[in-house]
Amino acid sequence: MLKAFMEMLLHWLPTTTIAYYMRGSWEWPAAESLHFIGLSMLIGTVGLFDLRLLGLGRSIPIHALHRLVPLGVLGYGINVFTGICFFTAQPDLFMFNPSFHLKVLFMSIAGVNVLLFYTTMLRKVRLLGPGENAPLPARIIGGVSLFLWLGVITFGRLLTFYKPPSHWCPWC
Amino acid sequence: MQFTAWLEHTAFSIWIRESPSLLVFPTFLIVHAFGMAFLAGTNAALDWRILGVAPQIPLRLMEKFFPVLWFGFVINLISGLLLLIGYPTKALTNPVFYIKIGCIAGGMVMMMLIRNRVIRDGRDGKMLAIVSLIFWISAIVAGRLLAYTCTYLMADLQC
Repeated sequence: MLKAFMEMLLHWLPTTTIAYYMRGSWEWPAAESLHFIGLSMLIGTVGLFDLRLLGLGRSIPIHALHRLVPLGVLGYGINVFTGICFFTAQPDLFMFNPSFHLKVLFMSIAGVNVLLFYTTMLRKVRLLGPGENAPLPARIIGGVSLFLWLGVITFGRLLTFYKPPSHWCPWC
Repeated sequence: MQFTAWLEHTAFSIWIRESPSLLVFPTFLIVHAFGMAFLAGTNAALDWRILGVAPQIPLRLMEKFFPVLWFGFVINLISGLLLLIGYPTKALTNPVFYIKIGCIAGGMVMMMLIRNRVIRDGRDGKMLAIVSLIFWISAIVAGRLLAYTCTYLMADLQC
């Protein structure tokens, strides 16, 4: 069933309007540039927040630094949109690309990690003043978050080296 | 071009270009992406703070994140040099490469001006922050466009 769905996507997605525009002369490089800007926005805000959780810049109150995170979410949103554009235009490059699978896996775990943070730690962390350490679970979540997002960047960069059909996901 | 042709024949350059190991060329690219994220991303966060986002962050304390900026710059200087040694003709015959380096230099100058005049002296930094954002965004775009504006892959090989 899943296989039939993927086959359908492989044939249908390149026929969509998004795919048509992405085949233009400037759209793909423009989307890539936005994708890199988005990732920089994410790391520059959420990454900084994670580093603060881990203890860097302890004199900065965490709840204040947290106010930069919406910009990171915007960066993430830009990347989801541009990412969908890439996948729609060239599903054959990604669908069976092992690096793409790992990138999505890391993104998913990062999402779970974010949920975990907001449902358990945010309240406690918000009350912390300058100079105070975040509690250990919050530090772990911060460290894991940073590791996962850097992992997403890593697998994103490796996409071009694992393109089908010369490479194929061994678990497919 | 003669220098880049010579460089491309050195063992080091050949190793960077032709090593099948993931730990060579792909890793240089990955490290370069990390550095970009930390350097441009953190600079952008600093610029947005100056422009009024998250005003609860005491501006003087943003200097605590300068080690992150320097870390990003240094790993990108090193990874960038390694990538350049791998494909010197490709980069040095491409005007977009010089635009990229110029934008990075501009961004670094803005970063130091912001540190000295805005963070330390408390002067108004809105113009510096805007110019800084323009430099860093331009550096990222120029970097991406390098992949699409190649003339010479190597001294004796067109793209």
